[in-house]
Amino acid sequence: MAPRHNFDKQLKEIQQDILRLGSLVEQALYDSVQALISLDVAAAGQVIMKDELIDQLCLEIEEKCVWVIATQQPMAGDLRMAVAGIKIIISLERMGDHCVDISRATMCLSGGALTAHSVEYIPEMADIVQQMVKDGLDAYVTRNVEKAKAMCAMDDLVDFIYNRIFRELIACVKEHPVHAYQMAYLLYVNRYIERIADHATNIGEAVIYLVTGERRELN
Amino acid sequence: MRVWSVLEGIGWRPVASYFFMLLVFFTLLKLYAVDKITIGVMVAISLLFSAFLALVLYRRVIVPLNEVIEAARDIARGNLSRRINIISQDEIGDLAKSINDMADRLRHTIGEITAEKDRAQAMLDSMSDVVLALDRKGRIIMVNPAVETTFGIPQVDCVGRSVVEVIRNFDLDMVLQRVQATNSQLIREVAIISPEPRIFILRATPLVGNTKGGMVVLLRDISERKRMEQMRSEFMSNVSHELRTPLTSIQGFVETLQDNGTEDPQMIRHFLGIIAAETARLSNLVDDLLDLSRIEERRVVRRWQREDIGTLVDQVLTVCGSRADDKQIAIKASLQPRLPRLFGDPDLLAQVLINLVDNAIRYTSAGGTITISGLVEGDEIRIDVADNGAGIPAENIPRIFERFYRVEKARTRGMGGTGLGLAIVKHIIKGHGGRVDVKSVVGKGTVFSIFLPLEIPVTLPAAGSFYLH
Ligand SMILES: Nc1ncnc2c1ncn2[C@@H]1O[C@H](COP(=O)(O)OP(=O)(O)OP(=O)(O)O)[C@@H](O)[C@H]1O
Ligand SMILES: [Mg+2]
Repeated sequence: MAPRHNFDKQLKEIQQDILRLGSLVEQALYDSVQALISLDVAAAGQVIMKDELIDQLCLEIEEKCVWVIATQQPMAGDLRMAVAGIKIIISLERMGDHCVDISRATMCLSGGALTAHSVEYIPEMADIVQQMVKDGLDAYVTRNVEKAKAMCAMDDLVDFIYNRIFRELIACVKEHPVHAYQMAYLLYVNRYIERIADHATNIGEAVIYLVTGERRELN
Repeated sequence: MRVWSVLEGIGWRPVASYFFMLLVFFTLLKLYAVDKITIGVMVAISLLFSAFLALVLYRRVIVPLNEVIEAARDIARGNLSRRINIISQDEIGDLAKSINDMADRLRHTIGEITAEKDRAQAMLDSMSDVVLALDRKGRIIMVNPAVETTFGIPQVDCVGRSVVEVIRNFDLDMVLQRVQATNSQLIREVAIISPEPRIFILRATPLVGNTKGGMVVLLRDISERKRMEQMRSEFMSNVSHELRTPLTSIQGFVETLQDNGTEDPQMIRHFLGIIAAETARLSNLVDDLLDLSRIEERRVVRRWQREDIGTLVDQVLTVCGSRADDKQIAIKASLQPRLPRLFGDPDLLAQVLINLVDNAIRYTSAGGTITISGLVEGDEIRIDVADNGAGIPAENIPRIFERFYRVEKARTRGMGGTGLGLAIVKHIIKGHGGRVDVKSVVGKGTVFSIFLPLEIPVTLPAAGSFYLH
């Protein structure tokens, strides 16, 4: 009885740590996009600094997961819980890195003003991705497979917007070659946000795996 | 059967003891030479007698006691309206009476506690701040409905979860952990991004006493207040900037004159001209600010009064007429006959027209024409101030009602504007429940239209603080 109780406590703790990590990543995504739109170098710097915390927390959780697997040798659902946990933190950690990338781009762009046209779509896409990350973590808390699937489906929309922004930016470069430098960075940012959406779908897949035991590629 | 159940109710011990006592009694009798009684009769009599006693015991003690027990159980189960109907004068009657009294008291006390709890619950339910109560392990044990309106999370989904599972915010979680660890209250501002970015003031108080180890968390949305604070400080910095600029220039020219400018009379005249213009601009700004604070003081229109539009237009002409004449600008009024009278504060409405006509004069070149017209449109009175001056470029139109906004900084600065005129107009008209509209073509002219309701609107929008609009 006692070991089982202890084990449940460890799993619960891991879940809460993952949510803490999730909260940091959600905030980083929001802050980095906000900093980009307003070209706020200080805010971008904050995001880069806070990424250390994300990495550190990530390591801690990973260790806890490994420890649980090694000492408790969990089976079936419990094992899936630990494995899904590792999958989720890896995705979250990558998202954090992309937020840092966006912030670096912000710092490079901070010289001049953004042309109104180019920042038009990026916040729109960022909003959707932000929602995806939120839904993914919500699905994890509530073990909600339907929500996870719906969230993964949003990735198609993100891909669509990604392609549209890509074309717009390229057209912009052709039209105003003076802005080429800026557009190049925005192309990167576009890509980073799209990658964050991909990682969000990984979280969704981990949730589905956790609940049903099925492994599925949803994007 | 019945006898058996009676016996069962009494138990074997009293019967046996009566029986035994009688037996002893008769044995004694027998010893004293009453030999007519045989053992058999003796047994029979003692049995009968004890059965009679047992019956009496059953009627007088066991039955009422059973009822008392039944009622007490019922009361313990929560049926506080249960009473015992025993009025005998013996101890059992007393017992029944005190149990009835106890039930009365219980019922009264529980009623009071329930009412108290309902009041507290109603207070929590009606609060717009989110209140969470956590247990020792950080799990939510109680939350008020505001969590649903604020974070979109169903109230029932929160109970039993920890806070990170419900409101995912790192700072919030950190504060709660700190409070847990140090067992002392913390007050912090936290920014929470979902479902929409907002700033909250968070107050986490550890619980002491019986529920030791838990805490109460209060989250109050202060985004609006933050936004207003920021707007107010922006306004203040704008004002000081606007005051600073002419002052600097005046100071500069005065210093120049003091130091070395006294030789060349033409130069002196030129400098004095600039100083005069800047002084005029300063006094203009101060006038506008005074207007503002005057309007601000009234907040909402206080002096509701019927006023003839013609009277207002006359007032405007007396104030602006000479300046129009200076620029050889004609001001015409074309009012619909029998126009209903305006309803509002005449001073404020005159102020609106003066500001509009003043702009029209200022931004129209010499020889132009200004037309003030009034007509009824639907259930509104519409007043137009039209000019054939410079016009406003389309991209600037959305911003001209902002405080301190001027279309062409350099040009209009020369003309002495402060950029507060239209902001005041909009503020006053809004306070009257009306609206303002602009149509303009660059090079052709501009029409400002104000629309005021014919009757006082039932619910007037609060004019609010000008600084914050
Ligand atoms: N009739 C008009 N024709 C052309 N431009 C106008 C007209 N009315 C307003 N504007 C433009 O709108 C701007 C804002 O007007 P507003 O009355 O708020 O400020 P102002 O006239 O510059 O200063 P003041 O506070 O002294 O009135 C002006 O600077 C001007 O550029
Ligand atoms: Mg003006």
